[in-house]
Amino acid sequence: MRNQGFNWHDPILWAQGLGVSVGVFAASMILGTVIGIFIALCRVYKVPVVAPVLLVISEFLKNSPVLVQLFLVFFGVPVLLQVNITPAEAAIFTLTGNTAAFIAVIAISAIDAIDRGQLEAARSFGHSERSILRKIIAPQALVVAMPALIGLAVNQLQVTSLISAIGVIDLTKVGQILNQRTWQPFIVWTIIGVTYFILSRLLAAAGGRLETRLRRHMDWAGL
Amino acid sequence: MIEIDNLHKKFGDTEVLKGVSLSIAPGEVVSILGASGSGKSTLMRCMNGLAGLNGGSLLIDGLDVSKPRELREIRKRCATVFQHFNLYPHLSVLDNITLAPMDVLGRKKAEVEAEAYALLKQVGLADRADAYPGQLSGGQKQRIGICRALAMQPRYLLLDEVTSALDPEMTGEVLDVLAALARSGTTMIFVTHEIAFAREISSRIVFLDDGVVRADMPTDRFFAEDGGYGDERIARFLAKMRNK
Ligand SMILES: Nc1ncnc2c1ncn2[C@@H]1O[C@H](COP(=O)(O)OP(=O)(O)O)[C@@H](O)[C@H]1O
Ligand SMILES: [Mg+2]
Repeated sequence: MRNQGFNWHDPILWAQGLGVSVGVFAASMILGTVIGIFIALCRVYKVPVVAPVLLVISEFLKNSPVLVQLFLVFFGVPVLLQVNITPAEAAIFTLTGNTAAFIAVIAISAIDAIDRGQLEAARSFGHSERSILRKIIAPQALVVAMPALIGLAVNQLQVTSLISAIGVIDLTKVGQILNQRTWQPFIVWTIIGVTYFILSRLLAAAGGRLETRLRRHMDWAGL
Repeated sequence: MIEIDNLHKKFGDTEVLKGVSLSIAPGEVVSILGASGSGKSTLMRCMNGLAGLNGGSLLIDGLDVSKPRELREIRKRCATVFQHFNLYPHLSVLDNITLAPMDVLGRKKAEVEAEAYALLKQVGLADRADAYPGQLSGGQKQRIGICRALAMQPRYLLLDEVTSALDPEMTGEVLDVLAALARSGTTMIFVTHEIAFAREISSRIVFLDDGVVRADMPTDRFFAEDGGYGDERIARFLAKMRNK
């Protein structure tokens, strides 16, 4: 591409990239949370076969580079399974798995942090396992897990920048496109960097407010 | 009616209950005494289904604890007060008390709350309904633990060393509540180290020794020179407790 200055179309490009980054982040965070909690519950309730298998997978996801996982899913899996997969699908799939692995770890340790005596009391009073989970475990585990969840969310937001490597036009990819065209790397990457920074701060602030709200009634809970 | 017949309970290779037989009729206040490690808590945990049986049978009102469906019914009739309170820290005092009646018995909130306030008043904590467990002293927590159990309107109240985790100056307030309950005719199975108190409130004493029932007799008889006291191990236990 020729060396050109910025033009009126660039903010739109920026906004599109931002939308893609936020979209992939939100999708993988939500799906990852659901799956991560499922993994954690399989583990907590010691579901045979399922629990150990999921844990091995989640160990792999935690202990290998996300970029490699993205390549594996985008380039490797289509060859193996003879299917087509778009960059966006590969990105969401990979980041969902990766997020799920970390959510599982956070959820397991938050649930473990709950005093067992309460659970025995609840059982002895005849509450079903389901209502113990909903009414006793979940509200306490959520408060315990909040700081780790906020940290994870901020981190996963940064991790989304890797999906540009498989061709998803996210914020980082937009940065590359603008940089190639304008040859203004300092300006371009400052704008992109500040965008991520602001997003992260907004995310952390929202999480912090949620945590404060959850904690409001729990100041005395010793959690 | 609680009917325990030849109950065995093992943890791994160690047998903790070695054939316990015992029956408790409605309206009785039975204290279970015994040295630490003799199996008292395990026996209580078998009664509310927190521990499974390895042999023998345990029936409550004819329902079998080892059958899940019947255990569910048993749990509506037996309520436990725990040594370490085991209150739910994220719920207010009121919600701690009303949770099980609403969730397990399916009763209406307004009704259960009214009863909860009445119970709180009985134990002298009417003004703490909105407090959280972490804001309360040990003695207050345990009185809430008792309210939580009573809110289930249980036929049988199981109490496992409910004053052991309390500072001495707080045991009195809890024992007073229990004494009132005993007088009111609630069936109580009361594991305790408060020998004098057990003697005062219970109609019968069961002495567990190393997983077997070594004595099961009316309270007067148990404390008589030629009754429980006549047993050398029991005499030694009582002497030890008195010197504490
Ligand atoms: N969950 C458990 N696993 C292994 N051993 C246990 C368990 N619970 C109790 N025990 C053992 O069983 C014995 C009786 O314990 P317990 O019923 O708590 O006695 P008590 O309440 O009379 O002090 C003790 O030796 C204790 O170590
Ligand atoms: Mg005990």
